[in-house]
Parts: sequence; C-alpha cells; structure tokens
Amino acid sequence: MSDSSRPLLEACDVSKSVTGPEGKLEILGKVSLQIQPGDSFAIVGASGSGKTTLLGLLAGLDTPDSGSITLDGHALELLDEEARADLRRRLVGFVFQSFHLLPALTAEENVMLPLELEGVRAARERAREALDAVGLGSRRRHYPAQLSGGEQQRVAIARAFVHGPRVLFADEPTGNLDQRTGHHVCDLLFALNRDHHTTLVLVTHDATLASRCDRQIELEEGRVVGSGIGVPA
Amino acid sequence: MRMLLLALRSLRREWHLPELRTLAASLVLAVVALGVVATLATRIERGMLASAAELIGGDIGLSSPQTAPDAFIDKARQFDLKIAQTAGFPSVAFAHQQTQLLDVLASGPHYPLRGTLELRDAAGHARNGHAPAAGEVYLDHRALVALNLKVGQPLQLGGRELTIAAELVRQPDGGQLLALAPRALMNIADAEQAGLLGVGSRARHQLLLAGAPAAVQGWRDWAQTASLPQGATLITPEQTRERMRSSFDRAGAFLRLTALLSALLAGIAIALSAQRYARRKTSEVALLRALGTSRRRVLGLLLGTLGALALPAATLGLLLALGLSQLAWMFASQLFGSVPTVLPLAPSFAAAAMGIAVLAGFALPPLVRLAEVSPVAVFRQSVTRRVRRFDVLYLVPVLVALGLIWSQSSSLQLAGILAASLLGVAVVAALLAAVLLWMARRVAPGAHPALRLGLAALARRRTLSLIQATALSLGLCALLLLAIVAPALLQGWRQELPADTPNWFALNLQDDQRAGFEQALAGIGGDQLNMLPLAVGKLTAINGAPIDQLHFADERAKDWADRQLRLSWAGALPPSNQVIAGQWHGARPAQAEVSIDTMWRDMFALKVGDTLRFNVGERSIDARVGSIRKVDWSSFRVNFFLLLDPAHAGDLPHTWLASFHLSRGHAAGLARLSRDYGNLSLVDVDSLLDRVREIVDRVGNAVRWILGFSLLAGALVLAAALAASAAERRHEAALLRTLGARRSQLRIAAACEFALLGLVAGLTAALGAAGAGLWLGHAVFHIDGFVPPLWPLVLAALGAALVVMLLGLAGTRKVIRTPPMRLLREG
Repeated sequence: MSDSSRPLLEACDVSKSVTGPEGKLEILGKVSLQIQPGDSFAIVGASGSGKTTLLGLLAGLDTPDSGSITLDGHALELLDEEARADLRRRLVGFVFQSFHLLPALTAEENVMLPLELEGVRAARERAREALDAVGLGSRRRHYPAQLSGGEQQRVAIARAFVHGPRVLFADEPTGNLDQRTGHHVCDLLFALNRDHHTTLVLVTHDATLASRCDRQIELEEGRVVGSGIGVPA
Repeated sequence: MRMLLLALRSLRREWHLPELRTLAASLVLAVVALGVVATLATRIERGMLASAAELIGGDIGLSSPQTAPDAFIDKARQFDLKIAQTAGFPSVAFAHQQTQLLDVLASGPHYPLRGTLELRDAAGHARNGHAPAAGEVYLDHRALVALNLKVGQPLQLGGRELTIAAELVRQPDGGQLLALAPRALMNIADAEQAGLLGVGSRARHQLLLAGAPAAVQGWRDWAQTASLPQGATLITPEQTRERMRSSFDRAGAFLRLTALLSALLAGIAIALSAQRYARRKTSEVALLRALGTSRRRVLGLLLGTLGALALPAATLGLLLALGLSQLAWMFASQLFGSVPTVLPLAPSFAAAAMGIAVLAGFALPPLVRLAEVSPVAVFRQSVTRRVRRFDVLYLVPVLVALGLIWSQSSSLQLAGILAASLLGVAVVAALLAAVLLWMARRVAPGAHPALRLGLAALARRRTLSLIQATALSLGLCALLLLAIVAPALLQGWRQELPADTPNWFALNLQDDQRAGFEQALAGIGGDQLNMLPLAVGKLTAINGAPIDQLHFADERAKDWADRQLRLSWAGALPPSNQVIAGQWHGARPAQAEVSIDTMWRDMFALKVGDTLRFNVGERSIDARVGSIRKVDWSSFRVNFFLLLDPAHAGDLPHTWLASFHLSRGHAAGLARLSRDYGNLSLVDVDSLLDRVREIVDRVGNAVRWILGFSLLAGALVLAAALAASAAERRHEAALLRTLGARRSQLRIAAACEFALLGLVAGLTAALGAAGAGLWLGHAVFHIDGFVPPLWPLVLAALGAALVVMLLGLAGTRKVIRTPPMRLLREG
C-alpha cells in the first residue's frame, strides 16, 4: 500500500466543531496538509488553537465533520471506529504530554501493551529491547510512580516505538518536563524516528522543538496561519 | 462552624462524583436492608411469641391450686388486660351405661384469649368458637368414641346433664404432650354449681390474661415482685414445653442469621465505596496540604463531608425502611397468623445508627490515613503516604463487623461461627486471588491474546483485584448461606418431623399385652411402633443424703424432688440421645447405673459417679450416675430424663409406654383398639406436631421475605465491587483503544477477567457456605446428619461466576465505548 511518492498522511479541507453551552463552536476550519513518509512535522500554536484536535483527527482518534484524511492510503472518514483502531494498532504510535502509563504496570509491562494487543508472543523480549534503546533497561521492573517524569516519558517513547509504527504522533511530549530533560527526551524521539524511519507528527507550542522538525504549520483559532520548514537545532 | 460550611460546600461540589453517590446509595440501602430485615424479624419474633401465647390461650397467666387471688385480678384490670379463668380437673363421664375418665377444662365465656378453639358441629363442619354456654359441653374425638356418643346427645358430667354442643378439635393446651385422658370443655359456672371446684377438689386453676405488650409486661413485672400464692406459678410464653421452646429458639436463630448476613453485605458495600472515595481524594488532599492546610483541618474537612453525607442518607434510609416495612407487612402479614400489627420503630432507628456506625468503621480508616498524604504527592505519586506493614486503623472495620455480628445474632455461638466462617472465606479468597494473580503473571505470556489481556488486567489492578475477590466472596457467601443453606437447614428441620413421625402415645400397656397390642396395631395400619418400660417412682437420696435434707440453688430441683418421676431403662442408647460425659452403661453393668439428662445434671448439680436412690413402689434402687446425656426433645420420640440399666431395673414394677404413627382417618380402628385394651390411655400428639410444622412454615416464609432484601444488598456489593475499578477501567480502555485495541478484544479480556474473578469468588463462597452451613447445622440448629446441599452450592458458584462475568461485561460496555480522544483531552 505504501508508495514513497505519495504522502503518508494527507488532510484535505478538514473541519471540526463542537456544540457547547454557547452554541456551535468551530475548532478547526478547512485545514489541509500533506506529510511525506519519514518526515517530521510540527503543529504549533497557542493553547486552544486546535492543535490537539487536529492531531486526534490525523491519528484517527476522531472523525472530521467535513473534509477528508488519508493515512497510508486509507480514507479515515470512511472507516468505522473498529477499522480505525485496527489501523492505529498496525501503523501508529503515540506519546502523550502526561505519559499515560498504566500505574499498576511495570515499565516493561507498559511497553508490552501494544505487542499484547497484536498477540505477539515474544512481547517481553521486544519490550526489553525497546527499554534498552531508551536507556531504561535497568528500570524495567519499576512502576511509573517510582520513575521521574523524564523516565516515564522515555518509557512512553519505548512503548510508542516497540511495535514499529509507520507514524508517531506526539502531543506536547516535553510539556511536563524541565528544559534539560525535555531536550534529552526530544533527542531520543528524533534519534529513534531517524533509526526507525518513522514519520513524526508532533504538537507543541515550543518553538525550539518545532524548529527541529522538517516542516511545521501554525494554527490560530482553528485555521492554518503559517507554514514553514524547520531548522535543525 | 466554618469547617461545617466548608464541608457542606465540598459535598455540594463533589456530589457529581460517582464514588460519593455510590457511598450515599450504599448507606441508604444498608439502612433500608438492615431496617426492613430487623423490623420484619421483630414482627415475626412477636408472631412467634404470639404463637406461644396461642398455646397458652393468653399472653400470660397464673396457675394455682386455688382460684387466683383478687389482687392479681384487680391488677390485671388496672392494666386494662382481658381476663379469662379456667380450671382443669379429672372427672368421670357417664353415657349409655358406659363410664370414661375425662380430662375436663372448665372455663368462662372469654376463653381462649389468644389462639383458637377449633370445633366441629353435628354436620361435620369446622368452626372456631369460645367456651360452651351453660348446660353445654364439648368432647374430643376420643371421648366421643369411648362413650359411643355423637354431637347433640346428652351426657352426665359431675352429676349434671350436659348437651354435647360440638366436637372439640383443638384447644390451647400449653403444648402439653401427655394428657392422659380424653378431653372435655365445659362452662365454669356448671362446674361450680356441680361442686367440682369446691374445697378438696383436685382442680388446677388458671388465670389467663391478654392485652397490649406493654401492659402485659407491666403486670408480669408486678406479679414477679408480688408474693405468689402457695403452689402457684406464672405461665409465660417462654415456659411452653421443651419441644416447643426448642422450635422457637431455632426460629429466632434463623431470623437473626438472615438479618445479620444482610447487615454484613451492606457493610461490605459501604467499605468498597469508601475505599474508592478515599482513592479519588488523594490528589485533592495532596493539593490542600501543599496549599498549607494543616493535617487536622484536612481531617476535619473529610470527616465533615462524610458526616454531611451520612446524616441525610441515613435519614432517607430510615424513612424508606419504615415505609417498605409497612408495605412488606401488608403483603406478608397473612403468612404469619395473628401477629400484633403495630409497626415497631426501634429496629429502623437502630438500623440507621448501625448504618452510620458501619460507615464510620469502614470509611474512617482510609480517610484518616488520607489526611497523612504528604504535600510532596502533588509532584510525585509514589510519596502519597507512609507505607505500613500493619495498619492498626484497619482493625476498626473488623471490630465494627464483629460488633455487628454480636449485636444482630445475640448468641455468642452463632456470632462466633459466622465470624470465623466469614473470616475463613476472606482469607481463602485473598489467598486464591493471590495465587490467581501469581499464575496470571506466569501463564499470561503463553496464553490466548484475549485471555492474556484479561489476566494482565487482573494483575494490573493487583490490590483492587484482591479486594474485589474478597468482597465478592464474602457477599456471595452470605447470599449462598441465605439462598441455599438456610432453606436446606429449614428442610432438614422439617425432615426431622417426617409424615410418619409418631403421632400417638399409648400409656399403661401391661407386659402380657405387648404382643397382642403390636399385632392389633399393625392390623389397623399403625407403624413406627416403639415401646419402652415405664416405672413411676421418687428420688429419695443423693449420695446417701436424704433428699428432704438437701438444699438446692436451682428452684426447679425442689419441685422435681417432690414429684413422681418417670423412670425407664434401656440396654442401648436410644436415638436422639447423645452421651456427653461418662460412659453409656450398656445392658449389664456390674452395679446399678443411671444415665441422666443435662437438665437433671444442672438442677441437682450432679456429676458422673454420684449415687441416686429411687423408690419405686416397695422397691428401692441405688444407682450410680454412669453417664450424662444430651437429649433432642424436639424429636417427638419417647425420651426420659432418667434411664436405668435393664439388668438392675428390669424387675421394677412397670408398665409400657408405646409411641406409634397412625394416619388420620383411623378413628374407628383406634376406638376398637381402645375398647379391646380398656386399661390403655391413648394420647394424640398430632396437634402439637401441627404446631411445630406451622412454626417451620412460618419461618420459611419469613426467610423468603428477608431473602429478597438481602439480595438487594448483595447486588449492591456486586455493583460497588465492580464500580470500584470503573475509573481505572475507563482510562485504561481509552489508552488501549488509542493503541489500537479492538472492542471485541477489550470485551473478551473483560469477560475473562470477570469470569476468573467470579470463579474465585464463587468457589470460595460455596466452600465457605458449605462449611458454615455444616457447622451451623450441627452446633446451632442441632439437625442430626445435616449435610449442606453440595451440588446446588457448586452450581450456584458457577452461576455466580457467570453473573459476575455478565454484570462485569454490562458494566464495561460504557467503558469500552470511551472515546480514545479523551486521552488527548486529558493531556
């Protein structure tokens, strides 16, 4: 299905609105973008600009009110939630601002989760390799509460890469970390992205982080107000 | 005051939290379940007492050799009690040139004050009535047959000619088993005019009273302090004969058992909700502490919120309990016969207080410990609080549970057995769940992906899984005890009185009549014949000391020392007897031996090795106490307080006492038997048997009613146990969906998880219920050979696993539909 000349991820005139106490509120309005395989792509903007909503739509976590999104040749708006979940399991990895590790699972068990969902038999071995890759091989039996914020995010990154996704979505991956730790986590994210030839889509309001991406767009009140090419830091 | 306002504000803001609503609902339902059960139980116990009153013919009475002194009657009038006076005496009746000794009761027009006098008229129609009018008499079936009379015909009694107005079918008789002669009921005015009650008469007079419970108690208190006339005794419902008392005791134990189990179910539901609430509050408390709120203030705020929740919830529960009790009674009252209809308020108030105590006991420990959350926890969850190996505060709910068991059971034995059984269930459940979790980790890697996910989910929530398995096991155990073991115990009790239970006694059978009687009885369809020798004698000395020179602490001893005693002998230990001290004497001991019942041991402070001297006619026998027996007096077999060995007692002057079963409708055959053996006294115990069966049926009905409310409490435990993990589940489901999990995967995983949890809980509960049932059956309800129904228990355990799985699945339906986008929105 993949074709190097074709974008891996494409959004065309995507709109999304919600109904609140004060009536209908447009969160995204006619957003279009294309992301090539292996690219790193940043979505920047102030709080409430619609970044996270766009990320959710691109990852197939939600469907647009209008417009279309194609992920690896699959029109997401034509798929039901089950089919989208299937696609996510095979093609997508996630890193969240709040890490979202399961507190009752060890680091290793958290990393095993996507593999367990796929029914991979050697899940534990592969999880160990992934943890070694993020430098946490010695902490694999630790629970999230026993790890620092940076370490938790590294576990989350290991979990995101363990099943070899084609595209990795990161939502403010350094938002909960101090600058130095955030920097280390970003280095790791980009390094793994490079090593695994993964496409990276990240949401951030950190201009430095955005500038490390190949491309970026800026959102304001749900609309694309600018786009550009990042400058490797 | 400021703290209270703050607590109220906090409650208002948190009211949307499901934990808090579940906690409030748990408390309301706990109070409702406890209140309704306790109110029903109180009413039913009153009903049982009313049944006892039916046996006496009044709520209370005075039995004396002369008519009751005026002071006792005047006092009864002061208390506004209804009054009836009776006199019982033997008298000979004449008709058709035949004579028959009758057991006559003469009574005023109001007799009986409680219970019914069942009569049958000339046409054979049954009716209830009161004492006969002057000039009339009622005769029982035996008297009619013996005198060859019919209703409407005249007979001579006490020198007066009376008309038989009806056949006497059943009368309140104090549960008396061995009335020696056929019975007659006449008007007391006729008896007085005939001089049957004058000086020198052998009549026993009874003053019977009935009225409001408080008035009856008032008269009773007064009578107990007043000096009773010579030879007089109070007649109380509690003093019905041993057989009936044992039935009432068992009935009470059943009701207490069901009420107690419902209370515990409610307690578990509260405990689960409180734990969940405390978990939810951890981050908020950490924030408050970080913002500078002192530990004491945090604790005050938490307790204030809990109090602000508890009081209205308990009040609502109280009102609902009262309303539902009244409603339930409207449907149930006819099942229990003539029971006072006033709604008792005390049990519902006690239930509300108990509900608050349970809430405090189960919710305080997690909240008190919550106040210890370190302010640093706002940054790092791992430092929420000090980890304790053993938290003494958690003894509080254990103590509250024990207190609840004690207060509800009012029997140390029942309480002990239940507490030990439930504790055993909790320990086994926790151990089994721990083994399951251990296995989950070992087995998971090679298992089917869905099962692996389910096992992983169980292992993920390790502590919660342990709590859920334990709570579910306890809840299910209580339900199984109620739904399967209690009815089986009732069935066991009922089977103790099978249809062929001996319902006739024959007294005064002579040695040379035994073979002929046995043959004649078989000829008319009688079976289950059992014959024992019967000698009548007196106790004259204990350990060589003459009885009249001895002083006994037990008041009953003096009465028994004056009495004619029934003595018997046997080589083999009779059924429904159990030797609890010494050794059964067998057929040929070296010296004369006697086996005594526990009541005799207690009355005369006897022990094995003491010597008793009995005089029987001209003979005297010194017998060593060889053994002490516990006798099951509810068995309706012929039993004796004193059993001698046949080698030394066999030649004492004696007659034979026979018991046998004869189906109803053999009156003609029985009358022939009675005529052929003129010296025999035949005694019908069917009516007493009917009473006991009636009590068993009433208890059965009561337990079924209470079970309905207990099921509600059980459902609440289940809901609370499942809700306990709902928040974690929602978050987890959202994450797994984001990572690409299919709904079917989550569903199968949840089914595996809940089925395993249900299986652990179901099997532990079945094991616990079987063990507790076995223990209760033998130790509390004394049902010989009682075995809990094992297959129904196993099937119920599997059914429970299925129900837990289905309910778990139903509960996770919403969870599985959690939109994955939620995770991004949460940050």
